[in-house]
Amino acid sequence: MTSMTKSTAVRTDEVWKVFKHDGLAVEAVQGITMSVDPGDFVVVAGPSGCGKTTLLNMFGGLTRPTSGRVWVDERDLTALSEKELARLRLERVGFVFQAYNLLPVLTASENAEFSMLLQGIEPDERRRRIGELFKTIGIGGLEDRFPAKLSGGQQQRVAVARAVVGEPALVLADEPTANLDRAASDALLDLMVDLNRDRGTTFVFATHDPALMERAKRLVRLVDGQIETDERRAPAHQ
Amino acid sequence: MTVTWTVLPKLALRNVRRQARRSLLTGSAMAIGVAVLAFSRALGDGAHEDWIDAGVRMGSGHIAIQGPGYHASKSIDDRLGPDGVAQALGVLGQPGVAERVQAYATRFEVQGLALGATTARPVMISGVDPTVEEHFSRLGDRVVEGRYLEPGDRLHAYVGERLAERLQLRVGSRLVLNAQGADGEIAGQFVRVVGIFKTGLPEADAGVVQIPLGTAHEWLGVDGAATTVAVLVESGWVAGEMVNRVRDAVGERDDIAVMSWQEAMPELEAAIKVDDWGDYVFHIILFAIIALAIVNTVLMSVLYRTREFGVLRALGLTKGQTASVVMSEGIILTVVSGVLGMIVGVAVTWIFFRNGLDYSALMDSDFNFSGVVLDTVIVPTFRMQQVVLSLGSIFIIGVAASMYPAYRATRIDVAEAMKFEA
Ligand SMILES: Nc1ncnc2c1ncn2[C@@H]1O[C@H](COP(=O)(O)OP(=O)(O)O)[C@@H](O)[C@H]1O
Ligand SMILES: [Mg+2]
Repeated sequence: MTSMTKSTAVRTDEVWKVFKHDGLAVEAVQGITMSVDPGDFVVVAGPSGCGKTTLLNMFGGLTRPTSGRVWVDERDLTALSEKELARLRLERVGFVFQAYNLLPVLTASENAEFSMLLQGIEPDERRRRIGELFKTIGIGGLEDRFPAKLSGGQQQRVAVARAVVGEPALVLADEPTANLDRAASDALLDLMVDLNRDRGTTFVFATHDPALMERAKRLVRLVDGQIETDERRAPAHQ
Repeated sequence: MTVTWTVLPKLALRNVRRQARRSLLTGSAMAIGVAVLAFSRALGDGAHEDWIDAGVRMGSGHIAIQGPGYHASKSIDDRLGPDGVAQALGVLGQPGVAERVQAYATRFEVQGLALGATTARPVMISGVDPTVEEHFSRLGDRVVEGRYLEPGDRLHAYVGERLAERLQLRVGSRLVLNAQGADGEIAGQFVRVVGIFKTGLPEADAGVVQIPLGTAHEWLGVDGAATTVAVLVESGWVAGEMVNRVRDAVGERDDIAVMSWQEAMPELEAAIKVDDWGDYVFHIILFAIIALAIVNTVLMSVLYRTREFGVLRALGLTKGQTASVVMSEGIILTVVSGVLGMIVGVAVTWIFFRNGLDYSALMDSDFNFSGVVLDTVIVPTFRMQQVVLSLGSIFIIGVAASMYPAYRATRIDVAEAMKFEA
């Protein structure tokens, strides 16, 4: 481990997650130590069951580690209460899941606005950010649609908009393209690459989609809950 | 964070609307429950008002002013003398009392014997003012033969049908009344039957003889006296307050006793209480059904939407905020259905039964109840207090019933909820 002089978006120290199941212990994450720099575009890859989701959930404070520690924005998540964790997610972490990210009773813009509302950001500012972002992301004009009236790709874009609009330290995207066809998936990746480049948003992905791995600035391969390889890459199409 | 106060309930409102079919189903079930509640409450109150009204008219009024001891002894020795009567009437004429007195009746009632040609029967002989009783006891309305007593009548009697049968009396027949007079001696009095009544209440039909008050005074040697000054106030709801006012106005006198109808007729009050308990049990069952409907609907919607709650938590909602979304859903559902149900219940009751619900078809004979003959038509009564109380109870039930589903929502494991099968 190198000395930590510059701040990181997220870092872990010897983090373990052991699930106990009918007396059987599943070691999903086995002592991972890593850090993600602000502005990075990291893909955690590996076969199904290797611990990608568990690792990302620990990054985002959705799952508490069995041992070891996790820092987001240099705050130790393992020392935070449930309430403080919720607050940290609200302000510092964006999530994009595989599907069904949106609240079905809210329109696209209301979904994207939701965490800003909870943060108490002024209406004018909210509207400005959403208008701008929706245009950038290519979903301008869909603001008042309900999720059921959006395609899968459009829904994922709204989810990305919601994740980045609050300018979090970190966006965690777990298999964001798994439910999309190739074209929609490529378009979504393009847009996240753009956001990373233009706004400096930090992305950490979990995926087994080769197309997404190709876009990685940094590719971390997991096997059985451990880091197998961790390499910087010259991503395609950038 | 003030915004969450509007954001989360708004989200809850949308959720309730989205599950329109389920909400509607629960909502209407609840609404029907509340409507039944409103209806039964109105009828219950209406019935009790009828009971009290019938009871106090036939009995000793909302307020009975008597000589002390008369209630227990029913003896002529415990009568109210002319001075007491004057005092009582003076009190009833006072400002603060007079406006709310609907009627009062001065009566002289004694236990005695009615002798026919061949047999005798124990009876309650009641000396009354026929003009007053027309509006008070209204026994005149129950005439089946002849007529009711009239002003100017002297040696006349109005008797129950069963008594007439037993003593073989008809209109125009003569009978002798025997009772103890003021001097302690048994005195007899000839009277002639002018009318026969039937109330349906055996005690009255077989055991009551009404004669003019003046006749009773002369016969028993108790000029100007009364056993009871019975007072009818404007409604049963103000009776308690009026008793206190009359008591205050009478002051510390040991020759006058003021009694509420509850004291004078404890069996009537007991009957109403028993009936109230029946209502309470019914309402508790109704509330339990409503509560179960809410728990079921809200819990189902929570269990069915674990992923949504997972998203909310991932977005940064605390457990408390997540619970408040669920609570809001339950409360919105309850309040909307509760208010609708109340409106429907009150409206239906008003439109169809405002003139009274006739349940005589359900009764195989005359309905009487602890010494009170009752009408078989109940006119529902609406009291703001009852409506507010019912709505308040519904609201509390809504809150209570939403607690468990809300708790369940906080127990959702976010990582688990957001899982996808590979
Ligand atoms: N809640 C849980 N209880 C028990 N085992 C779990 C739980 N979540 C994940 N696991 C196990 O942990 C391992 C890693 O799972 P996961 O992190 O979902 O892998 P990936 O996302 O790479 O497919 C798997 O063996 C999985 O079965
Ligand atoms: Mg996974």
